[in-house]
Amino acid sequence: MIGMKLWQHFSREALYECYQCARCTGSCPAMEVSPAIGPRETILKCLNHDHEDVVKDERLWLCCTCHVCEDRCPQKIPISELLVALRNHAVRRGNVPDRLIMAIELLAKTGRSMIVHQLDDMRAYHGLGPLPPVPVDEVRDILKATGLDEVVEF
Amino acid sequence: MKTDQLISPSKDKEGHPISRDLRTGVYVCHCGKNIGGTIRCEEVAEWARSLPGVILAKDSMYMCSEPGQEQIKADIQEHNLTRVVVASCSPRLHEPTFRAACESAGLNPYLLEMANIREHCSWVHLHDKDAATEKAKDLVGMAVHRAALLEPQHELTVPVIRKAMVIGGGVAGIQAALDLADAGYKVYLVEKTGSIGGRMAQLDKTFPTMDCSICILAPKMSEAGRHPNIELLTLSEVKEVHGHIGNFKVKVLKKARYVTKECSACGDCIQACPQLVPDEFNEGLSFRHAIYIPFAQAVPSTFLVDMNLCLNNQGIVACDRCFQACSHRCIDFSEKDQVLEVDVGTIVVATGVDVYDPTALTELGYGRFPNVITTLEFERLINAGGPSAGELIRPSDRQRPRKVAFIQCIGSRSKRSNPYCSNVCCMNTIKDSLLIKEHWPDTEIYVFYLDIRAFGKGFEDLFQRARREGVTFIRGIPGEIIEDINTGDLTLLGENTLLGTRYRYTMDAVILSVGIMQRKDSGLLQRLLNLSADTDGFYMEAHPKLKPVDTTTGGVFLAGAAEGPKDIKDSVTQASAAASRANILMSKGEVKVPAITARIDPDKCTACGMCARVCPYHAIEGNKDQGYYRVIEAACQGCGACVPECNFGAVDQTHFTDEQIVSQIDSLLAHDPHRKILAFACNWCSYAGADFAGVSRIQYPPNVRIIRTMCSARVSHHWLERALMLGVGGVLVSGCHPGDCHYNNANKHTERRAEKFWKRMEKVGINENRLRLAWVSAAEGSRFARVVEEMEKGLRKLTAKQIRDEAEKLKQYLSRKGDTA
Repeated sequence: MIGMKLWQHFSREALYECYQCARCTGSCPAMEVSPAIGPRETILKCLNHDHEDVVKDERLWLCCTCHVCEDRCPQKIPISELLVALRNHAVRRGNVPDRLIMAIELLAKTGRSMIVHQLDDMRAYHGLGPLPPVPVDEVRDILKATGLDEVVEF
Repeated sequence: MKTDQLISPSKDKEGHPISRDLRTGVYVCHCGKNIGGTIRCEEVAEWARSLPGVILAKDSMYMCSEPGQEQIKADIQEHNLTRVVVASCSPRLHEPTFRAACESAGLNPYLLEMANIREHCSWVHLHDKDAATEKAKDLVGMAVHRAALLEPQHELTVPVIRKAMVIGGGVAGIQAALDLADAGYKVYLVEKTGSIGGRMAQLDKTFPTMDCSICILAPKMSEAGRHPNIELLTLSEVKEVHGHIGNFKVKVLKKARYVTKECSACGDCIQACPQLVPDEFNEGLSFRHAIYIPFAQAVPSTFLVDMNLCLNNQGIVACDRCFQACSHRCIDFSEKDQVLEVDVGTIVVATGVDVYDPTALTELGYGRFPNVITTLEFERLINAGGPSAGELIRPSDRQRPRKVAFIQCIGSRSKRSNPYCSNVCCMNTIKDSLLIKEHWPDTEIYVFYLDIRAFGKGFEDLFQRARREGVTFIRGIPGEIIEDINTGDLTLLGENTLLGTRYRYTMDAVILSVGIMQRKDSGLLQRLLNLSADTDGFYMEAHPKLKPVDTTTGGVFLAGAAEGPKDIKDSVTQASAAASRANILMSKGEVKVPAITARIDPDKCTACGMCARVCPYHAIEGNKDQGYYRVIEAACQGCGACVPECNFGAVDQTHFTDEQIVSQIDSLLAHDPHRKILAFACNWCSYAGADFAGVSRIQYPPNVRIIRTMCSARVSHHWLERALMLGVGGVLVSGCHPGDCHYNNANKHTERRAEKFWKRMEKVGINENRLRLAWVSAAEGSRFARVVEEMEKGLRKLTAKQIRDEAEKLKQYLSRKGDTA
């Protein structure tokens, strides 16, 4: 059962304390600028409905894990931990945004998650030397140790 | 159900002859399915028949019912029973019931023993029927062995002083004082501030009837002020309490008022005073002088000087402007604080509540944004006697707000503040919203709520009325408030959870509906009166359903919100109930004290005086010349702290004798001792805590067996030695938290003795973890369960051989010690 697996990574117990006050929604900066699923709705769906709805939903990736909802939650529910568990689950179900896959591939290939053009020129302008080379193999080993290679090819 | 019986053998298993007058009847109660659903009661009764001295054993559906009690009475008469053992619920619940049944059949009530197989067994081992049944047998066996050694006792009666003290002069305190005074008793009404009236005096209107709060309270206040039976002690605090039910000696510190009774409250002095400070009564929204009257309707209607603020606070008169201004010459700077000593028979505690301070919830901006205020501040603002003379203004620009928001559950129902529902805030907000609508109908009002709890008489009507009048209720608490620094307007960000849409409302003012909580200094009175507190911090009642105004301390009663959040009506109801309970004691004029006092054998006593040194009540007197010490029975409270202190075995406690407890230990450890945990629990906290675990159905390992003592300080090292020598797995000694002890901190001796015993265990080579000391309050059922679980985990690491070896070591050590002694 896929559902069982999620609760191995996150204790469902903590969610029972949520009384849907929505303080988290009012605190969420991601919802302010994007159609992210709010923490309240995420908890409600995971608790009383099929959390597969959330796992399949690409909007899951819009949360910026700023922890403000968790900070203000009157019931001290570890909302960010739930989000991380859900995302881990989503990756295994194939719900990963393309841009994220690109970033992972880049990281595995170059050791950096982002290419900044003329980086060395900019650094030189500010009096900094070129960046040291990245030990790409080591980065790949770390990525493999986290099990990322099982879900994303690189 | 089987009712057949077995005539006991004339000798017990070891071949000792059983005294002929020992005829024990055992009754195992099913309590419906409460016990019978888990424990095989017939099997327990059947097994009990084989115990020494037991001539009959029966199981019955409900022992506490009339037929159940009649059964006991009939058997006592028919079979000449000399001891009765009832295995049922906690003795804290039904011991009085069964004692009365025994007494009415002519058997001394102290010859009854109970085995707690419900709270301590069936309810906490719901899923392990075999283990629960085995445990029940052990508990019944222990009870039967103890019963055999019980002696008939006669209770002493002590007179009850026909005077009462009421602590706290809010509406609950006033009501309790008036009721008691009207019943004809002298009442001391002790109030900390300069006037009685309490929180209710601060409110503008009351829900659900919209009565003017001070208009209905003021007549009661003045009645209390002039009642011939009430002595009003304002600016007073209780400092010391000694004595016991019916006979309390209370020391009250009455602070100087610096204004004599001749004051006519003309107010000439106020203008003369140069000192200013935020006014507490108006929640800091206005100023008062160092000489002031708390509010216009104050009782006593006398000014007072706040000496912390007055320029004369160094003991010299540096400023006498008020004195000069007073035409009655009633200001007296030479007045001194006094300590009054009063004797009372009963005490009513009505100390009320504090209001939650929302500063800690930074996202709401209280304290930073001037237009975010609390409901209590709002009450003062909208009150005609308040700082704005009843005009609703917002603090930043003193303009009338056109759009007002109320936010509910601030400081309530949250792990970040208080976990409980504060009970009054929903209705208070609805009342406040209607007040605004009444005066300024064009005001837009939004109530952001989580749940509206309108449960009382007339409450739902008021809620409906508010909605009809146009108050908008939005489900979803704002997560954040943003202030416009130019206008002072506030923007609320949140979600309407019923629509599932985000909102953004801009408001002129925001009122935080703050919760109520126990007084910050409640711990002081709790210690003075030996009260318990629940997990929310409120004073705990003796029984949540059936003794809701009694406390575990005899003669002390609770009224008002000090016992839990409540509105005015409930406070007044409870106050009258508390007064009535106190009245019962005082009108009777005497009270029976349980026959559980300590006693000293003068032949064994060497007059060393060790027992007198540990007695928390100075109830042991004597000296070397006299050759022995003796117990003053009327003063002894029966904690038993003195007994283990005696090195000569001269001291013992009635009804909790060494012999009786040892018989329980021996019975318990007759089989498989290494698998068992022996727990000593004090009657007031830990035994009640274990009961609470049962009531809450908190499950814990079934190998623990509890022996009740009145205080943990009664636990003797002889018992611990005996249990260890018999190969017990582990021993738990548990009592009230330090400072909460019901016997004047007698449990400090428990701690001292446990430390001494651990040292001895280390010396002898016994695993020290096998003795555990734990403080468990009556509200901490889950803590009791956790302690047992931890002990069980530790026990699993020990093998039977290790335990046997350690027992052997202790035996050798003690015999060596015996040789040298």
